[in-house]
Amino acid sequence: MQYGRVYFEDVKVGDELPPLVKGPIQQIQLTRYAGASGDFNPIHQDDEFAKAAGMGGVFAHGMLSMGFVAQALTDWAGAGTVRKLGVRFAALVRLGDVVTCRGRVLARSSRADTHLVDLEVWAENQRGEKVVAGKATLALPSRV
Amino acid sequence: MPIPINTGVVGKEYPPWPVTVERGRIKDFARALGDLNPFYLDDQVGAASEWGDIIAPPTFAASFRDERADSGALLRDLGVDISRVLHGEQEFESHRPLRPGETYLCRTKVLDIYEKTGRSGPMAFVVRETAITDRAGEVVATMRHVTVVRL
Repeated sequence: MQYGRVYFEDVKVGDELPPLVKGPIQQIQLTRYAGASGDFNPIHQDDEFAKAAGMGGVFAHGMLSMGFVAQALTDWAGAGTVRKLGVRFAALVRLGDVVTCRGRVLARSSRADTHLVDLEVWAENQRGEKVVAGKATLALPSRV
Repeated sequence: MPIPINTGVVGKEYPPWPVTVERGRIKDFARALGDLNPFYLDDQVGAASEWGDIIAPPTFAASFRDERADSGALLRDLGVDISRVLHGEQEFESHRPLRPGETYLCRTKVLDIYEKTGRSGPMAFVVRETAITDRAGEVVATMRHVTVVRL
């Protein structure tokens, strides 16, 4: 469901996010992300530099994958719902990799007019290896 | 031999810097992610929304930089080369979405540096936090950033 709207009452612990598949990652996307984010570390652009640094070649900005995870959340729940998103970058994303973002509802709570849903979130590559892992909290609208 | 890192940077606060969010930067950022959500890209959808304008995607504040300063200040303070750094962890806490035309003030502080030995050898973890406040001085968002230095 793209650009969805999810109400607090409709969410259950254990619910899974619709997976968001991104990629295959191309150099042009890393260049574009560098321009948009201001992160011009040559390790994401210059293969020789990345090899000389001992990284075996160019890899994606961690923040690109984190942005994908954020998109998986907002595609499901709606823009402006993310209150917290924290991740660890667990493995490098390489050119040609396909990144699938996933999530699962861990808890839900309400206090006054604020309705929060906690999720575990992660992204994996085409071999099923986690490249990003973390947690998110969304503030959702209520039907009542 | 592992390289040394200047742990004296712990506690350092960088001079606060203002960021005025430009509409086009929000759209470029969303498009760079391949996120075509109309609440980030379409001014009409934004105008009709609860925020009255487009909003920035959740990780947009990662693009905030002190445009007056050179970008290598932290690495120079740590005494490490850019080829040795990786992004270890990142966290955003958001009280409300960032919006175009708003001017925010960002304050970054180095909270901690700790060392660990991983599979690939000794590493230092540099923890920074950036508080983002609006014109009224209210905190709109906080970012926590963990940089890994391969020693």
